[in-house]
Amino acid sequence: MDSSVAAGLLVEQGHEVVGATLKLWGGVSDSGCCSVADVDDARRVAQLLGIDHHVFNYTDEFNRHVVEPFIDAHVRGQSPNPCIECNRHIKFDLLFERAERLGFDAVATGHHARVVEHDGRRELLRGADAQKDQSYVLGYLDDAHLRKLVLPIGDMEKSEVREHAARFGLPTWDKPDSQDVCFIEASKGREVFLRRRIALTPATIVDRRTGEVLGQTDAAELMTVGQRRGVLPDRDGEKRFVSSVDVSAGRVEVGRLEDVVVSRLRLIQTSLSFTHDALANGARVLVQWSAHGTAQIATLRYDGEWYLDLAKPARPVAPGQSVVMYRADEPSIVEGAAIVSRA
Amino acid sequence: MTAQYYFDHAASAPRRDEVADAMQRWQHGVVGNPSGSHRAARDARRAVEESRDEVAAFVGAKPGGVIFTAGGTESCHLAIAGVTEAHRRDHERSVIVVSSIEHSAVLDAAQFMAREHDDVEVRYAEVDNDGVIDLESLREQLDEDVAIVSVMTANNETGVCQPLDGVNSLSKGHVPGGVPTHTDAIAAAPWLYLPVVTGSMDLISLCAHKLGGPVNAGALIMRREVAIEAMVPGGGQERGRRGGTVDVAACVGFATAVRLTAKELTDVNDRVIDFQHKLCAALSFLPGCAITAPGVAKVPGTVHVTFNGIASDELLFLLDQEGVCASAASSCSSGAAVASHVLAAMHVEPSRAAGSLRLSMGPETTEVEVDALIGILSSVVYRLTNEN
Repeated sequence: MDSSVAAGLLVEQGHEVVGATLKLWGGVSDSGCCSVADVDDARRVAQLLGIDHHVFNYTDEFNRHVVEPFIDAHVRGQSPNPCIECNRHIKFDLLFERAERLGFDAVATGHHARVVEHDGRRELLRGADAQKDQSYVLGYLDDAHLRKLVLPIGDMEKSEVREHAARFGLPTWDKPDSQDVCFIEASKGREVFLRRRIALTPATIVDRRTGEVLGQTDAAELMTVGQRRGVLPDRDGEKRFVSSVDVSAGRVEVGRLEDVVVSRLRLIQTSLSFTHDALANGARVLVQWSAHGTAQIATLRYDGEWYLDLAKPARPVAPGQSVVMYRADEPSIVEGAAIVSRA
Repeated sequence: MTAQYYFDHAASAPRRDEVADAMQRWQHGVVGNPSGSHRAARDARRAVEESRDEVAAFVGAKPGGVIFTAGGTESCHLAIAGVTEAHRRDHERSVIVVSSIEHSAVLDAAQFMAREHDDVEVRYAEVDNDGVIDLESLREQLDEDVAIVSVMTANNETGVCQPLDGVNSLSKGHVPGGVPTHTDAIAAAPWLYLPVVTGSMDLISLCAHKLGGPVNAGALIMRREVAIEAMVPGGGQERGRRGGTVDVAACVGFATAVRLTAKELTDVNDRVIDFQHKLCAALSFLPGCAITAPGVAKVPGTVHVTFNGIASDELLFLLDQEGVCASAASSCSSGAAVASHVLAAMHVEPSRAAGSLRLSMGPETTEVEVDALIGILSSVVYRLTNEN
């Protein structure tokens, strides 16, 4: 619905708008995303708005840049965010290039985030609706991208978007938001998805501090660093968190919160990306490492490689997760992003 | 609005005025049910049977062999599933042999039967790099379990014609008792003289809208009696082979389309084959362009090419902007261009197949349109390659 309203608002403003649906996942899905019904709905919306609609097929690229790396990362015991990878490699890479070749001035999406011009520079800001803010998944965009990106609903509350949808007579206005990973069937989950593609590895669960063997899991790949739910649920009622996953050694370390908290996030150097100029060693930032997590104060530091020192210790962060940096003095403004290598 | 240059006849041909006029009479007021006995029913029945005569003559079969269906997909499904079901009645195993480049109407029907029944198997005959069926590969698939062999007359994506006489000879000569043969002649029908070209085949599928007739009108035509089970038995129409009230207007429109196609066949072929040569000559100079299967017989109306390093999506988008209606020839149900199983079977490199383009013409295509197309396509291709 968000992208439909975005399109409708642009049409209303007098822009020449063409709707595009990206066909990303060629396999089975129950998320509604990329299904024939989904494309049909989008096409119908375009008809109602009086604009052309095209379907662009990126299934091969999606498989190569998003799905296969997602599977490979699990083999290494990492937990990437596939939506971020899709945005980086498909939407804001291939689609932007295509839009330029096809003669478009800008690409508009229905993300809840804002692009604001300030001192001749484009800044990416959190969406006005804090509950729906999607700036996290856009964290890797740089100034060049932001100059081509239009986010028409970023300064609206969700309720306002719904009102516009109803005003435009859009049939999808009561459709629930898409939430899940589009290529994983919600009814079957990540486990079934991975089991069909890779052999999952049994592992021993040990106490991080004492080395005591606490139990077994039949799939180390499904244990995520930082996870609490489902970790030895029947053992003794103690809350334990996963602090490390070593798939090849078949070893998962867990511990009580005070034993596993981290205060430093090491970053994959090549993943580090800034909206504008690189931040300096010692820069204070607010960091967020999940789509709807709470931002924490941290300091970006360099000792031959970049890392983040957290002001307050936190639950461990899974390697492969993206961390997005916001300005410490303007907590709405995105400054950059990187992938966590280890906590 | 930019001028419209229609080069997607192979997807659906423009409706002929004569078709619309002929159908008019059967789309207003009382139209009798052709199965009834009173005068309105008799009028309707006569119109249906006159249509049946014309459709039969179009392929050189007897009118009694024509089963009207609601389109080509249903016709192909009835051939594959209907003959296989009949075969299953007195055989332990039933094998469906198809070429690997068949339209999904045939492929999906075959795969559906194999999925539903443990005793049904689908085997595929390979094609060579030009997309012509490899008769040796076909021969290898044939044994006493085969229920039906289906090979299209001309391929809907590339336009490449298939050696049906060879297909039929193998199917009849290589299996004791002979195997029923089916051909999807839908892509060939606007161009080839079907009484000769499909003359050896037992079952022929046609549809009207590729001939300028209505959609939802098609036929499965039996040149020789073949045991077949109805897929929709209710009502017993079409001699018990396809239940449901026969759509008089659709039959009349279909018959009008085949009559006009037959009448104009030679003239249209003569004219359009020149366009085909002109297009191929012009396109072969464009960067990265390769004419698909340049050395083999193709229907005159289709020019299929691939571009290295250009995505079909982008090509079609810019052509559309310039008023050119064309197609990548393979798309999924969402409308997205997808990798073609036909090009894969011909071992076309995936990078090339991703840049495929089918330009398909028809009786009303003019030289002015062809020249305009060459100009527009050239500018679009140069634009996409220069900026790559």
